[in-house]
Amino acid sequence: MSASATQHTGGAAGAAGVATVPAIAPQAPSRLQRWRGAGNLLPALLFLGLFFLAPLIGLLLRGVLEPVPGLGNYEQLFANSAYARVLFNTFSVAGLVTLFSLLLGFPLAWAITLVPRGWGRWMLNIVLLSMWTSLLARTYSWLVLLQASGVVNKALMALGIIDQPLEMVHNLTGVVIGMSYIMIPFIVLPLQATMQAIDPMILQAGSICGASPWTNFFRVFLPLCRPGLFSGGLMVFVMSLGYYVTPALLGGAQNMMLPEFIIQQVQSFLNWGLASAGAALLVAITLVLFYFYLKLQPESPVGASNAR
Amino acid sequence: MSAVKDPAQQHNKTLVSLRNLNKHYGDFAAVDDISLEIQDGEFLTFLGSSGSGKSTTLSMLAGFETPSSGEILVGGKSLVNVPPHKRDIGMVFQRYSLFPHLSVRDNIAFPLAIRKLASAERERRVDAMLKLVQLGEFAHRRPSQLSGGQQQRVAIARALVYEPRILLMDEPLGALDKKLREDLQDELRQLHRRLGITIVYVTHDQEEAMRLSQRIAIFSHGKIVGLGSGYDLYQNPPNAFVASFLGNSNFLKLKAQGNAVASFEGRSLSIRLTAGLQADQDVLLMVRPEKALALSVEQAAQEPLAAGWNEVSAKVVEVLFLGESQTCSVVTSGGTAMTVKALSAAGMPLKAGDPVCVRWATADACVYTQWAESDLNKAAGAH
Repeated sequence: MSASATQHTGGAAGAAGVATVPAIAPQAPSRLQRWRGAGNLLPALLFLGLFFLAPLIGLLLRGVLEPVPGLGNYEQLFANSAYARVLFNTFSVAGLVTLFSLLLGFPLAWAITLVPRGWGRWMLNIVLLSMWTSLLARTYSWLVLLQASGVVNKALMALGIIDQPLEMVHNLTGVVIGMSYIMIPFIVLPLQATMQAIDPMILQAGSICGASPWTNFFRVFLPLCRPGLFSGGLMVFVMSLGYYVTPALLGGAQNMMLPEFIIQQVQSFLNWGLASAGAALLVAITLVLFYFYLKLQPESPVGASNAR
Repeated sequence: MSAVKDPAQQHNKTLVSLRNLNKHYGDFAAVDDISLEIQDGEFLTFLGSSGSGKSTTLSMLAGFETPSSGEILVGGKSLVNVPPHKRDIGMVFQRYSLFPHLSVRDNIAFPLAIRKLASAERERRVDAMLKLVQLGEFAHRRPSQLSGGQQQRVAIARALVYEPRILLMDEPLGALDKKLREDLQDELRQLHRRLGITIVYVTHDQEEAMRLSQRIAIFSHGKIVGLGSGYDLYQNPPNAFVASFLGNSNFLKLKAQGNAVASFEGRSLSIRLTAGLQADQDVLLMVRPEKALALSVEQAAQEPLAAGWNEVSAKVVEVLFLGESQTCSVVTSGGTAMTVKALSAAGMPLKAGDPVCVRWATADACVYTQWAESDLNKAAGAH
């Protein structure tokens, strides 16, 4: 109990503070004490192991065991140009979706932070409401909006901007538009929390130090938003890699993404080996990204200043 | 007494003038028609309880608030429409407001980086500042890894590194404990003496104001009600509010009988010569507790009343020992409560219930002809 308390006070001061303290002696007993009572975790671990880890490992094993043992499935995944195209689509769509949702989510999060308190809560509720609305309903609405005779095309034609309807569904354009919209809440929520935690006095300090509003934004505000941008961006990127419903409805048959590919392999070709190789690839990419996230984000500057 | 006697104060050159400055929030006047001249190189403190308008005035100087009306002139040029980042003013905030994502060195270098100074010059100035605030060995740390006092020193270094003409400080030591606060007050005073910069300091702590500043402006309800050196404001408060706000005071209500005589509870007392007093006019007399003497009846019999002194008889209510000093609360026969303060070394052979004679010199008692009843108990709200 006391060990966890000291751990907390030290943790608030930041990891580097602990590193500079030369006394390492009290760490050994605290580590022992920290693991005391770990036995209580056993039921939960058993549950996770049985219903999460075991099936996952089984799936991953299929990738190297079926149809014949070896790395044949992975070879096929990277060598076949059609499959490589699937990977490229997946990454470029995930990248574009992350970019667009960051660009759209940042001003929204900022607006929610800046407007008077009551209004901000309303705006946040609207964002949440859109997130809670059925995904299928929202995706179909985009299908209606973006189709050749949809509102968007009609409006653009009426304004004389285009002569012919743009093809915005059943291709990657539709997928990017639909998914960017769906991902915005996942950017706004962590980003807004980060922005809320920034002390406005710090921005005043920046301006009295001589920073113009522009400089203040880039040199003080944006770096302080970094934890929110990072966690939001990573979450959206990883979610986009594995997203199925929206690409399946708004995308076309020619431009598949990895999740669609996996389902196709399982349902149409009963090729479990190749499908699990694709799934393993997704898991691996996610883990690698998460590792880099932890590396690049060792401490939260905002969190540390607020811990006082 | 003003602790710093700075040569810069002698050539009274006005650097900042506030002219008829107002700040209204709806019907509420946070700052109510303030006019003030701040001399070049002086250490001026805005002293007042919270909500008195001192911080709002400072914010207007910094440019975070726009005055509802009035003028702020620095060196003769209006500052009202100049945004904060072009004012070339340094500021230290109550909660330090360091940049949490930058190291101590980068925090101090920030204003120089904004001004695009050459990196060699930047390094030189930052090193000099780190030395000045004695934080050289902490240069690579993040603000969150420093103590409150160290963080505040970084904030001071960051505000001074670009050599602004004016340094604003908004209760910079408010969040620190007493001992550290006194150390930093000494450091600040020395810093001011060494750099000769103009400092405008905001605090609600009158001891801090006395310790640091050459002049103090006392704020109340958006107005400056007293302006002068700590010594003058304490010894000769311009009004009853300042008298009760600064330190402790005894107020006696008198009826004037002439220009230098008034009656108190049926006894005639001499007061400072005050022009324009009419007979039977209400007059307020203020005596500082340490200027009054409490004598037992025997002592009073041995020492006849000197010329120019007054005496009232009273009863001891309580004697308190406070370390270096002792206080004695008494109540006069008419029911007026008074406090007498003396150094412990002088001794005070009194106990509760004793009859006592309270004496003070006429010259030490201030006389007010106008006051509001609420002025007299403001001292409670000052701390």
